[in-house]
Amino acid sequence: MISQIRFAGIGGQGVILAGLILGEAAAIEGLNVIQTQDYGSQSRGGHSIADVIIGDEPIYNLIVTKADILVALAQLGYKATKHELKKDGLLIVDTDLVKPDREFIGAPFTKLAEEKVGLALTVNMVALGYLVAKTGIVKKESVEEAIRRRVPKGTEEINLKAFNVGYEEGAK
Amino acid sequence: MKYPFPVGTNDFIQGDEAIARAAILAGCRFYAGYPITPASEIFEAMSLYMPLVDGVSIQMEDEIASIAAIIGASWTGVKAMTATSGPGFSLMMENLGYAIMTETPIVIVDVQRSGPSTGQPTLAAQGDVMQAIWGTHGDHSLIVLSPATVQEAFDMTIKAFNLAEKYRTPVVLLTDAEVGHMREKVNIPNPDEIELLYRKLPQSDEEAKFPFGDIHGDLIPPMPIFGKGYRTYVTGLTHDERGKPKTVESEIHEKLIKRIVAKIENNKKDIIEYETYDLDDAEIVIISYGIVARSAERAVKILRKEGIKAGLLKLNVLWPFDFELIEEIAEQAKKIYVAEMNLGQVYHMVKEGANGKTEVELISKIGGEIHTPYDIIGEIKRGL
Repeated sequence: MISQIRFAGIGGQGVILAGLILGEAAAIEGLNVIQTQDYGSQSRGGHSIADVIIGDEPIYNLIVTKADILVALAQLGYKATKHELKKDGLLIVDTDLVKPDREFIGAPFTKLAEEKVGLALTVNMVALGYLVAKTGIVKKESVEEAIRRRVPKGTEEINLKAFNVGYEEGAK
Repeated sequence: MKYPFPVGTNDFIQGDEAIARAAILAGCRFYAGYPITPASEIFEAMSLYMPLVDGVSIQMEDEIASIAAIIGASWTGVKAMTATSGPGFSLMMENLGYAIMTETPIVIVDVQRSGPSTGQPTLAAQGDVMQAIWGTHGDHSLIVLSPATVQEAFDMTIKAFNLAEKYRTPVVLLTDAEVGHMREKVNIPNPDEIELLYRKLPQSDEEAKFPFGDIHGDLIPPMPIFGKGYRTYVTGLTHDERGKPKTVESEIHEKLIKRIVAKIENNKKDIIEYETYDLDDAEIVIISYGIVARSAERAVKILRKEGIKAGLLKLNVLWPFDFELIEEIAEQAKKIYVAEMNLGQVYHMVKEGANGKTEVELISKIGGEIHTPYDIIGEIKRGL
């Protein structure tokens, strides 16, 4: 089976890092995985999209063609890519920042990052934790290992904390 | 030797990063560059790794200087590389010709983005194929490689260095923003399992007198190293076997240029590499390369399931070009499609190779999005 997951937001939200860590977690589990990205030229504010395709068979599609899961962290990102989500696909949103026009689940990820983690920047890890809890697409432990490997040195603990805040929110 | 990244293992890295690591493992110890999307990650990785392997990574004032610096480094006996994208690649054209004329082994990576000019910096394209082959002026030949996966980006970087050294020529690794930025599982082999080649050096003072002479009959002169005691003259002007400028003698020019071209063209069989998929009984043949070949392979699978005899020829080397192979395929196929992310470049070479034996059609896509398998299937079905 192959799952197509897309993260969409604006530059600066850490959307690409979230995709990268999910991809690394899948690689740790020995699955086939491709991670690609699409972003504007500006370093902040433009749309930012990370695609992760995970499967136990060879992957030919390099970008998400029909997403099984769309994680939207900003209205701009949501609008840019909502048509690529399957009809019966799962939409996960930051409920403060995205106003979807279809069925969705989610939580105020940015607010959780500010209030429970103490750093709005960790919104990407909060959303990732929520996604993993809701879908079980990879194991929690694999993501934690991927976070330790991939985030800048010295920020492992706060990122792990953010991931767990999101995970607990998703497991509720 | 300790490497600044894990070896003998699988990793999950970008194509750009894979190219940098492969270069280090191929023995590259000099990198000069100027940052440009989508090739900057190669520079970033080189800046991090080079000091840890006693190598040099230097930012030059522009891409003209970058390629000049690696040509100089190569003449001191060091394997050297630069990486860029379209706008920078255009600036490198003059010195690419200089590297061809002076028979300098270097590797130039072009991570293609949409052009012309600054175009679409973050999006993939295959618009630089003709430029890579023919962008520098004058009669010449060189080698151009095209990877489709992160693993191939890794493997072909090593191949690029080996071919550069073996044939004393610049080699262009022509990849694109998609392969460059995509992360995939890639196997990084143990360094002792990697076969590495190094240029032929003069074996005597006598041999060193002819740094541009075919003294071994294999069209490839031994290359002296600056600072090792030989007096050597390196010039972009037409030169004799000793390297001295001879700018008006037509026979010297003809002999030099024909040898430079022949050392590549006569060794086509050694250099060219391609893959086939369901090609044996194919009536519809897709020819593709780089990132698009992956969609083409998927398209073949789907078409076969529907009972259409489709097959794929995936080109890993874009120059030298196997025109004879294309003619063989054209004799058997009902129709050839060339799928590429430009308005038709390899298409024209395929048409030349097909030599009128069958119809050749272009499946073109530009604007930064890769062909989906269904883009290719749609075009093919329209023609049935």
